[in-house]
Amino acid sequence: MKLDSEHNFVELLQKHQNIVHKICRIYTDNEHAHKDLFQEISIQLWKAFPKFRGDSKFSTWMYRVGLNTAITLYRKSLRTIKSQPIESVGYKLSHEDYDNTKDEQLKLIYEAVKKLNDIDKGIIFLFLESKNYKEISDTLGISEVNARVRMNRIKTKLKIQLNA
Amino acid sequence: MDELDLLKKDWDKSTKKYPNLSKEEIYSIISKRSSSIVKWIFIISILEFILWTALSFFGDSTEVLEKIQANDFAFIYYTMIIISYIIIFVFMYLFYKNYRNIAVTENTKVLMEKILKTRKTVKQYVIYNLSMMALVILLGIIMELSTSPETQILLTDIESKGENNIFIFYLIITIVSLIAIAVILSLFLGFYYLIYGLLLKRLKKNYKELKIIANLE
Repeated sequence: MKLDSEHNFVELLQKHQNIVHKICRIYTDNEHAHKDLFQEISIQLWKAFPKFRGDSKFSTWMYRVGLNTAITLYRKSLRTIKSQPIESVGYKLSHEDYDNTKDEQLKLIYEAVKKLNDIDKGIIFLFLESKNYKEISDTLGISEVNARVRMNRIKTKLKIQLNA
Repeated sequence: MDELDLLKKDWDKSTKKYPNLSKEEIYSIISKRSSSIVKWIFIISILEFILWTALSFFGDSTEVLEKIQANDFAFIYYTMIIISYIIIFVFMYLFYKNYRNIAVTENTKVLMEKILKTRKTVKQYVIYNLSMMALVILLGIIMELSTSPETQILLTDIESKGENNIFIFYLIITIVSLIAIAVILSLFLGFYYLIYGLLLKRLKKNYKELKIIANLE
């Protein structure tokens, strides 16, 4: 992929926006929060774009910046994200996205995931995105061992929650 | 783990359910920040107005008012008050208009123009306020000099001592007033810089970012 510095940011973001939507899905509970986080991540990506050198894939870089934004925001003790309502941007999320599924068990699993802490959410998100431990540790800036240990703990946590 | 497999399967399946924003929508998401900055400019201008009005009610200005009414300054005083209120309301309306305009702007180029216009309005507002302040101080000094009985006594006293003294007296008064005006104005300039300057700086940054987007459109 040849990158002409800043000139295709919007194009790239448009193409890979799914990544941002998915991060929003893991980190937020409702449509409004999803939109806010989507906006915040887009702005952070845009701000960080001049520093993106193209030595990793754009999508890889998006995972990193997007997750860091989500983690930082939610670390600030769940302070509500300051941003403009973006009603004028006419996209709608269908309700099922947050209803997840009619399958009761899946619903419980999603609920359990929502209860994880910010970093663990990032790990499970990357796991769901079929990333290996090397990629997970690179993206989140933790060691590979740490990623494995945490993933095991997450599995235990989820199991306990779901069997409770 | 069964649960995780189940989750993974559902996750992969749901990929197609996410919204697909157009490029235009993404542009406007990135540029939305301007609208919140301009909204703050509007809100702050109202708060500032309320602050000054409140201060003028709480401050004990009866003595000054009596002095003004007792002399020929009443007309100038009331005219100035009316004019300044009108001008402030005009500015508030302009700030509101800027905010409305920016909030509904979709196009990057138009948004950039709106940002420049907002910056201009704020600068004009600050310049107007500072000049008004200088004018008020100046009028205050003139009024004090020409009406206060103590000053009159002092003036005749000085005059009786020689022609030159009165010249020196006015020279000192002028210099002191100029310094006072300069100090007060720089204090207010600092105040305005703090509340509006920083917002304008962020607007400018936003403008620069928009310029990059505009170039790729």
